[in-house]
Amino acid sequence: MSKKTRRRTGQVGGAAPSPATTEPSPPVQTGPAPEPEPVVLTRLLTEVEPVPVSETVLRGMMRDWRRGRATRHLWDMIQDGYVVLLASVMIGAMLVSVVIRAQGAVSGCDTSGCISARTLLPWAALCGVLALTLMVARIFGPVVASAAEGFWLMEAPIKRARILWGRLVAVILGAAVVAAAFGGLVAALTGSTWAGVVNWAVAAGLGAAGLLAVAAAEQTRDRTWVVRTVQWLVGIVGLAALLVVIATAAAWIEPLSWLAATENRLNLIVAVVGAVLLVGAGILALNRLDEIRRARLVSGGSLVAGMQGAMYAMDMSLMRDILVERDAISRGHVRPTKGHGTGLTALVWRDAQRLVRFPKQMILLVLSVIVPYAVSALGLGVLSPVVSGLVLLTALVPMLGMLRVLSRTGGLARSFPFTTSQIRTAAMTVPAIATLVWIAAVAPAFIGLGAGGAHLTVVDAAIHAAITGLAGLLGAVRWVTAKPPDYNKPMMQTGFGAMPPGMMGNLIKGIDIVAVVTLPILFNWSYWISVVIAGIAFFILRGSMNTDDMRAAQEEQQRQLEANKAAAGGKKKIPPPAR
Amino acid sequence: MRENRGMAKQRTPVLKVSKLSKSYGPNPIVTDFSLEVWPGDAVALTGRNGAGKSTILRCLVGADKADSGTIEICGTAMRESNPQVRRDLATVIDDLDFFPDLSVVEHLDLLARAHGLPDAEEAVDEVLHEVQLVPQSGQLPGTLSSGQRRRLALATAFVRPRKLLILDEPEQRLDVEGVEWLAQRLKAEREAGLAIIMASHEPRLVDVVSTRTIRVGA
Repeated sequence: MSKKTRRRTGQVGGAAPSPATTEPSPPVQTGPAPEPEPVVLTRLLTEVEPVPVSETVLRGMMRDWRRGRATRHLWDMIQDGYVVLLASVMIGAMLVSVVIRAQGAVSGCDTSGCISARTLLPWAALCGVLALTLMVARIFGPVVASAAEGFWLMEAPIKRARILWGRLVAVILGAAVVAAAFGGLVAALTGSTWAGVVNWAVAAGLGAAGLLAVAAAEQTRDRTWVVRTVQWLVGIVGLAALLVVIATAAAWIEPLSWLAATENRLNLIVAVVGAVLLVGAGILALNRLDEIRRARLVSGGSLVAGMQGAMYAMDMSLMRDILVERDAISRGHVRPTKGHGTGLTALVWRDAQRLVRFPKQMILLVLSVIVPYAVSALGLGVLSPVVSGLVLLTALVPMLGMLRVLSRTGGLARSFPFTTSQIRTAAMTVPAIATLVWIAAVAPAFIGLGAGGAHLTVVDAAIHAAITGLAGLLGAVRWVTAKPPDYNKPMMQTGFGAMPPGMMGNLIKGIDIVAVVTLPILFNWSYWISVVIAGIAFFILRGSMNTDDMRAAQEEQQRQLEANKAAAGGKKKIPPPAR
Repeated sequence: MRENRGMAKQRTPVLKVSKLSKSYGPNPIVTDFSLEVWPGDAVALTGRNGAGKSTILRCLVGADKADSGTIEICGTAMRESNPQVRRDLATVIDDLDFFPDLSVVEHLDLLARAHGLPDAEEAVDEVLHEVQLVPQSGQLPGTLSSGQRRRLALATAFVRPRKLLILDEPEQRLDVEGVEWLAQRLKAEREAGLAIIMASHEPRLVDVVSTRTIRVGA
C-alpha cells in the first residue's frame, strides 16, 4: 500500500510501521502468513455522475498549451529567415513571370501537337492530382490524431467529432487549394486561355475536395477498397490522356477535335461532380466522425509524426523507409519462396524474387517509359535526357530496396562475407537489368516524334537513351545509399538556426548525378564526357573508393606500425585517428 | 616448415585487443582495454549501465571506430568491410536491420546461402525450430514481437559459419525459457570450440556460458 493510499484510508499515524519494522525481516516465518489489510475506498468513481464535458473548451486548452509552450513563433521564424523569405518571393515572382510568358507563347501555337497538348495535358494533370490526393488520403487517414491525443482524448467520454471536424475541414480546404494551383498551372503552361485556366483550377480544386470527402467517409467505415478503386480508375484515365497526347503529336492518330470543342463543358462536369461529392460525402463524414476507430486515427498521426521527423532532417530516404515498413506491416505475411545459388548469386536471386513478390515496385518504371515519348512529342526532345533521367531515378528507387537496407545500417551488411563493393554490385544487378530493358524501350523516343523538335540518327538516339538510363540508375543508387546528415559533427549557423553539414545537400542527392551525367548531352558536348563522368560515379557509388574505409585502413596500418615500434622499445606516441 | 606454420596458426588468438580507448567528446568511456580470446573461450563483460560494455563491443565489430588501440580477428587487423573478418565474425548488437519484404525463413536462407552452406535448407530448418520461429516463418519482420525479433537476430548468427560470436545483451526481451535455451546453446557452442564475447546483465547466462568475466568500469 502506498503512502498516499494509507493517508487516504486514514492509516497514517498510529498504524504506521515503526522504523524497526522497515528492516529486512528474517526469512523464517513462525506462524501463518498475516491477512492482508483490507483496502477501504473513500471514493468509488463508479458512483460519480460525470459532469458534461465541453469539447470546445478541451480543444481550446490543447491549442493554448501548444501555442503557449512554443519557444519560437511564426514571426520569429520569419524574422530569422527573412533572407530566405525574400528569395522565395523573388523566385516566386520570376516563376509567375515565366508562366505568363509561356502561356502567351504557347497559346499562339496551333499545330496539332500543341492543340492536343492544350486539350489533353490538363486532363492528365487533373487525373494525376486527383489520384495523388486519394493515395495520400488513404495512406494517412485522411483524418488523423496524434498518439497523445489518441491516448488522452479519444478514450475520454467525449464526442470525438467535435474535436476532429476542424481538422477534416482544414484537410479538405488544403487539398482543394493545392490541387487548384496545380491544375491551373498546367493549364496555363499548355496555353489555355485565362478563362480556361480558371476552369481547370476550379475543376481540380473541387474534384480533389470531393474525393477527399469520399475518402473521409470511407475512413469512418474502416475500408479502403472504394478509394483504392477510384484511385486506379482516375490514374488510368490520366495515363490514357497522356498516351493520346503522344500518339497525336507523333501523328499516329487524328487530333481529337470533339474533345477540344467540349472541353469547357467537361471540366464543368468535373467541378459539379466534385462539389456534389464534397457536400454529400462531406456531410456523411462529419456525421460519422465519431465512428472512426481510435487505432486508425492514431496510426495516421504516428505516420505524420514520423514523416515530420524525417522532413526536419530533410531525409527523403527515411520518409520512404517509413512508408515501406508500414506497407510491409499491413501485408504482414508472405508465402516463403526457396532461394537459389550460393554466395553473391543468392543475393541477386533473392532481389529478383523480392520484385516478383511486390510487382508494384515496377509500376513506376513501366510508366516512366512514356516520359521520353511525351517530352519528345511536345517538341522538347533536347531536354529529354535530363527530364527522363530524373523520372527514371524516381522509378528505380523502389527497385533498389535491397541496396537501401544493406547500406542504411552496417549490421546486415556485416553479416555477409563480401566486400561493400561486392554487396552493392549484387544489389544493383536486378535494377541494372531493368534499366537495360528501359533503355531499349525508350530508344525510339530519342529519334524524335512528330514534325517539331530535334531528330537524331538511330545510333545517336541509342547513345542518348543509354546515357539517360545510366544517369537515372546512378542517380537512384546515390539517392538510396547517401548518408543522412551527421548530427555528431559541428553544426553550421544558418538563417534558420543550426544545421548539420550535408543537410541541404540531402535534398539534391541523386539529382546531382543525373545533372552532371546528362548535361554534356544538353550542351551538345562529346558523349565520352558523360560516359567518363558516369564511370567515375559508378566507381564511387559501388563503394570501390569508400573514403571512410580507406582512411580507416590507413589509420589502422599507421597504428599497427606505431604499436610495433612502441613494443620494440620506441617511445613515439600513437596518434588517435582523425574524426 | 608446414608443421611450424600450423603451430603458429594454432597459437593465434581468435580476438586480440590491445590498449583500446574510446571517448565521446571529453568523456573517456574505455581506456587501454586489452583482451585475448582463444577458441573455446567465453568472455562475459559485466558492469553497470553506461560502463562501456556496448562501446567495447561496437568497436570490436567495427560499428564504432576506436580512438586508439588495435584489434585483430584471427590474426587479421580488424576492418569492418574485410570479407574475411565478416566471415569469421558473427554479431548480434543493436544495429541489426532486416529486409522489410523478406520473411523470417527467407532471411535465414539468404544468409546461409551467402555463406556458401551446402545444406542451407536443413541448416535453416534446424535453427528455425531451435529459436521457435517455425509458426512465424512466413511473417515479415515488421510484424514480429520484440522477443521474436531478438530470436531472429540470434538465428542470423547461428545459421552461418563463424569463429567468433559477439553478443550485446543477448538475453534482452527473451522470456525465461528463452534465456535458459540461449545459455545452453552458447555453452554448447563454446564447448565445440567457438569463441564468444558477450555483454550481459543476466547472472544465469554469465554463470553457464562464460569462462572468464570482466567487470567493466569497476
